[in-house]
Amino acid sequence: MWHIIVSSLPEMIGAMLQFTIPLAIISFIFGLILAVLTALIKFIEPSENKALRYPWLALRAIANFYVWLFRSTPLLVQLFIIFFGLPSIGIQLPAFLAAVIGFSLNTGAYASETIRSALLSVPQDQWDAAYTLNFTTRQTLMKVVLPQAVRIALPPLSNSFIGLVKDTSLASSITILEMFQVSQQITAKNYQPLLMYSLAALLYAIVCSLLSWLQHYLERRTSKYVKGGQN
Amino acid sequence: MISAKHINKQYDGKTVLNDISVDFPDGKTTVILGPSGSGKSTLLRSLDMLVRPESGTVSFPDIEVDYSKPISKKDSFNLRRKTSMVFQNWNLFPNLTVLENITTAPITVLKRSKNDSELLAKQLLKEVGLEGLEDRYPSQLSGGQQQRISICRALAMHPEYILLDEPTSALDPELETQVLRILEKLCEQGQSMIIVTHNMEFARLVSDKIVFIEDGNKLYDGDTKDFFNHPTQRIKDFLSGISLDEETDSIK
Ligand SMILES: Nc1ncnc2c1ncn2[C@@H]1O[C@H](COP(=O)(O)OP(=O)(O)OP(=O)(O)O)[C@@H](O)[C@H]1O
Ligand SMILES: [Mg+2]
Repeated sequence: MWHIIVSSLPEMIGAMLQFTIPLAIISFIFGLILAVLTALIKFIEPSENKALRYPWLALRAIANFYVWLFRSTPLLVQLFIIFFGLPSIGIQLPAFLAAVIGFSLNTGAYASETIRSALLSVPQDQWDAAYTLNFTTRQTLMKVVLPQAVRIALPPLSNSFIGLVKDTSLASSITILEMFQVSQQITAKNYQPLLMYSLAALLYAIVCSLLSWLQHYLERRTSKYVKGGQN
Repeated sequence: MISAKHINKQYDGKTVLNDISVDFPDGKTTVILGPSGSGKSTLLRSLDMLVRPESGTVSFPDIEVDYSKPISKKDSFNLRRKTSMVFQNWNLFPNLTVLENITTAPITVLKRSKNDSELLAKQLLKEVGLEGLEDRYPSQLSGGQQQRISICRALAMHPEYILLDEPTSALDPELETQVLRILEKLCEQGQSMIIVTHNMEFARLVSDKIVFIEDGNKLYDGDTKDFFNHPTQRIKDFLSGISLDEETDSIK
């Protein structure tokens, strides 16, 4: 048994470092950027200035449609459409890029709601205090509201990230040789499904545990101002 | 002087301020009194655009804002430069240290240097007896300390008027006294203030002028002495309604 583990581990860890982890990290970063933009578009009320009001409302409609679309359809179907479907209208994407796009859009849709609810959880009192000091909406967001919202959003965002790491196994279905796909290939040769898939599970668990630890660290750092918060 | 004219404010069709016109003289302390829900906070917040009345004007000698018209960013900035609000629950920024709470607005809004802003903040903290707390977070301090810090935060913007909405209602008597002493001192220094309070003793002590409102209507606007010495029947009822001794008398 040890022999099998030792001989297949390098290949699996290799796939993890080459595909699973980069896919998760890159997609999460893009997803997060998309999520913050989408959340702000939905959160900030349109200005009274007509020239700005209608473009903003249009952006809002797009944001709403985007979130609806990606939350209402399965991730696997989204990946299939992007990788197998788009070529028929002339858009041929490399598998890795297709996966990054699919995972980013999916993560962004969910995370935008997390961020929006974190923004909403900062009390109106904080806006009043900032406005009486003559902060603009933007300054209030940057100095007061976003820093507080980050603390609130951290645990659910960590959930999304951990979920994303595990969901990268779906990339195998669009021909990416990520870690789970590699474990399947090895199983096909050595007929040890229990061992190989358990090994894959263990590797996912190790990565996700590291992420949970990172979450704790970030929570402590962002909670130092809260009563009973560490530091 | 702040001159509010014909202020009308409704919430869901219910009139909360009914054609209120009041002047708030500078260098003086004006106290706004009235029963709960009468519109005191709404009136105070209208002066700072935290509430948008449907109509009415708020004017200073050099600027006027007309609520029935769209208000430009510049006008709203200039109006808010004139005043700073101190809130019932102080509303400090929990993510910023005491020092940052006071310096962030001067630095970001007024573009003052960090150094000058910190010097000013430290001096203000000293005046309210809180030197040495610069690096703490608000959650580590008592309500009385937090409220004194929020007064420093307002003063650091050098507004012409400080607006205070029940600044001590959320405090125990001992902590309340700490805050009231500071307000008394500001009053002696000639700081223009408008205070909503339920503390009659304090109102009588510091105010030069009383505005009494009920159900969105202004029922009194004038000298503090007259208000307490020659009250109308309605004011008598109000004053006895909130003082314990007279209430027991009337029950007997
Ligand atoms: N955002 C709001 N939406 C709807 N109604 C409101 C709102 N704010 C205030 N009101 C109503 O307006 C009226 C006046 O409220 P306001 O807060 O000005 O009273 P107040 O005199 O400050 O009372 P208190 O002494 O309790 O603070 C009340 O009837 C209140 O319910
Ligand atoms: Mg009030």
